[in-house]
Amino acid sequence: MDLENTKAQMRKGILEYCILSVLSRNSCYASDIIRELKEARVIVVEGTLYPLLTRQKNAGLLSYRWEESQQGPPRKYYELTAEGREYLADLDRSWEELVESVNLIRSK
Amino acid sequence: MKITLSINLGGYSFNIDEDAYAELKRYLKNLELHFAAEESSSEILSDIESRMGDLFRSRLTPYKQVIAMEDVRYAISVLGTPEDISDNETTSAGEKFASRGYHRMYRDPDQRIIGGVCAGMGAYWHIEPWLVRVIFFILAMMGGLGILLYFILWVVIPEAKTTAQKIEMKGEPVNIHNIKDSVKKEFDTVTKKMKL
Repeated sequence: MDLENTKAQMRKGILEYCILSVLSRNSCYASDIIRELKEARVIVVEGTLYPLLTRQKNAGLLSYRWEESQQGPPRKYYELTAEGREYLADLDRSWEELVESVNLIRSK
Repeated sequence: MKITLSINLGGYSFNIDEDAYAELKRYLKNLELHFAAEESSSEILSDIESRMGDLFRSRLTPYKQVIAMEDVRYAISVLGTPEDISDNETTSAGEKFASRGYHRMYRDPDQRIIGGVCAGMGAYWHIEPWLVRVIFFILAMMGGLGILLYFILWVVIPEAKTTAQKIEMKGEPVNIHNIKDSVKKEFDTVTKKMKL
């Protein structure tokens, strides 16, 4: 068993959930999502985020529009779609169930 | 003194040292291969390029106007190499792509004498192409069957054009690592030829 690999697997599972959670509070640029995920230490390298954002966009969970930024070229401004909110509500429930299950096992 | 190049990265224009440019190009090419199997790979790449533009911008000051090797290394460490990225998402398309490992017969244009049919068969069965050629030659001597067979196979078997096809021809799984290896091999051969 490889500890680092197990940890990475755990992080991977919650990353998608974390992205949607960040966006559920307010719409933002990819760089804002990155900052939050880095602060919370759920991603190590930023490159991980971009394929996930694109996949979630293709799945209809989020959408983006081009926004002018203060300096430099326009940037993608992401927001959750109605479908994304439903999907997130589902994930919220399953996350709570998971935490409960793990706590139950650990407290025995 | 160093030569600098002018590039457009995510809508910003940068002056970049020649060696830093080579490193950046190699990195972006590797990412491109990594995301090749993704549905919207070009979109992912342009997102990454525009982030890279932001990172480069943050490294420039009125006294430092050129992107150097250390800035490229910094940006790569922030964004992550393809290996770092796939560590974080083991089910990425990159690995699905890698695990396919097709084994198909192609004509091998690199080792060909006529159409690359025998070379391709040799690569496919992992035997010496000369052995296949001898068999064809013997069949050709016996009433020309070998010649007919050769031409039919020439038409039927596709040529291995891309690096991925050349790897499939040998039956190795196609992934970022061996694509890198064989691109490097090809590069070395070309360099050697140019020196001759």
